[in-house]
Amino acid sequence: MREGTGLPAVDLGTTEMLEPGTALLIPTETSGYQEDIGLFRAETGSYYALDDECPHEVASLSEGWIEGEEIECPLHSSRFCLPDGRVLCLPAVRDARTHRIEVREDRVLLYPGTAATRT
Amino acid sequence: MSIESILVIGGGLAGFTVAQNLRARGYAGALSIIDPAGIPYDRPPLSKAYLLGQKDTAGIALAPAEWYAEHRVELIRGTVRKLDTEYLGVELADGRRVHADRLVLATGGSPRPLPIPGGDLETVLALRNKEDADVLREKTTPGMRLVIVGAGLIGAEVASSARTLGAEVTLIDPVDPPLVPAVGQALARRLHAMHLDAGITLVHGTPVDISKTTHGHSLILDDGRSIDCDEVLVGIGIVPNTALAQAAGLETENGMLVDENQRTSNPLIYAVGDMARTRNPDGSLERRGEHWEYAMNTGATAAAAILEQELPVHGASWFWSDRHGTHVEGVGDMNGVGATVLRLAGEDPIAAFHLAEDGRMLGAASIDGGLTIRAARRIIDRGIIVPPESLADPGIALKKLAR
Ligand SMILES: Cc1cc2nc3c(=O)[nH]c(=O)nc-3n(C[C@H](O)[C@H](O)[C@H](O)COP(=O)(O)OP(=O)(O)OC[C@H]3O[C@@H](n4cnc5c(N)ncnc54)[C@H](O)[C@@H]3O)c2cc1C
Ligand code: FES
Repeated sequence: MREGTGLPAVDLGTTEMLEPGTALLIPTETSGYQEDIGLFRAETGSYYALDDECPHEVASLSEGWIEGEEIECPLHSSRFCLPDGRVLCLPAVRDARTHRIEVREDRVLLYPGTAATRT
Repeated sequence: MSIESILVIGGGLAGFTVAQNLRARGYAGALSIIDPAGIPYDRPPLSKAYLLGQKDTAGIALAPAEWYAEHRVELIRGTVRKLDTEYLGVELADGRRVHADRLVLATGGSPRPLPIPGGDLETVLALRNKEDADVLREKTTPGMRLVIVGAGLIGAEVASSARTLGAEVTLIDPVDPPLVPAVGQALARRLHAMHLDAGITLVHGTPVDISKTTHGHSLILDDGRSIDCDEVLVGIGIVPNTALAQAAGLETENGMLVDENQRTSNPLIYAVGDMARTRNPDGSLERRGEHWEYAMNTGATAAAAILEQELPVHGASWFWSDRHGTHVEGVGDMNGVGATVLRLAGEDPIAAFHLAEDGRMLGAASIDGGLTIRAARRIIDRGIIVPPESLADPGIALKKLAR
């Protein structure tokens, strides 16, 4: 577990900012984090954030295919669990790094560098 | 009778997947994988990132070394030389014997040798294993002249990687353009042209002879042309590794015959991956699937079948290929009776969809198509009918049509 590495929260927008089943790239300029972050709205409506680069090769997970609470990489179709970043199938073998998202009132807050906690 | 031990012969993707799925499905008995290579690794990077030196041995492992201990999967380093169907088990090349309640054959394929004089020279290269990739990498130095026979998936990928490494590459194929069965005519032509743009010499022809010269090799083509080079790599497909099974009297026919459970003609022996070939209940034979996902799917099916659990459902077959900085994907069948609809970006075809007469999608292929093929998979698997005009319109994301 990473601790104490997190950056201050970034207000990304309202909870209506993404349609369920879509994603958005949050560039480093927005987050202050050293890597691009993918923001995902699962088909369930919940928001999640992962490092945008696939742990397998060079692909952007925010360009992937969301199904339920999973994201499928657009390149070689490894699937990752959005809530905890767990890799669900090959060819990737490493989990994706999560970032905490908090929905406060109708705002989506991203905590870059702070791991998500499963609730 | 409960199953207490399972032995997987071959630790490629298919064999590894069997073991992984057996554990995920709750099998707690003894479980071993026999392979001369030791820790199972992934093959697609051998012609791409591994050949280019962007991934190392650890980077292509299918699971980290600890995984095997954590999941009590024993890795037996060795080569099986004989199957014992009476007292179920195997004999290794070093004489060791291992027995189990179930056997899974996952021996993959071997590069098909070029059936011409000199095609069997020891110095003629092929690419199937990590060792092959190491040899190829060592020989592929800037300026070296590499001739690749066969411009299919592996030939094309090696051509791209070797070019990146600075080699002078000549790609020979008797068919122009190659890969039409996989991606259709239009995309095949565009893909083939990319080799020219990368500075690769394309030769349309058939080699009839390979010989060694003082410095390298010389090829003679059927029209009398001769080509001198340093190294020759042959990539014309594989032959399934069924010798063990055949010697043991199991039914094979250009592949280890299996039913929908991946079970062979011996009910205690299963077969998966590149070496397996499905025989339908009516006796007809499917083509062998020689792609990555097929190896994973058949491994998952075998694990479920061995444990007598419900079989997983798999969709239309899918493959990818990465070369010249582009990503190619195909799903389903591009060859059945029907018509092909193209999607263009400017002049370039970026996707092809193959439709049956009743409008159902049979297959699709794309070049850098993003989620196009993912969406096409869903359209095919769910039998969604999409108007051809929408398929042809690059302004409409296929994902929208698949929901
Ligand atoms: C260079 C390369 C690039 C590829 N790229 C792609 C790609 O981009 N996309 C795609 O979809 N597919 C690709 N493929 C195809 C894909 O990798 C194969 O379909 C897949 O590896 C098949 O898995 P398998 O386990 O059936 O066979 P294999 O991976 O060949 O594994 C078989 C294993 O069995 C072992 N074995 C054989 N005989 C014995 C014996 N007697 N005793 C013990 N062990 C034995 C071998 O050592 C080997 O490790 C590529 C293949 C290669 C070679
Ligand atoms: S880059 Fe994501 S699975 Fe390969």
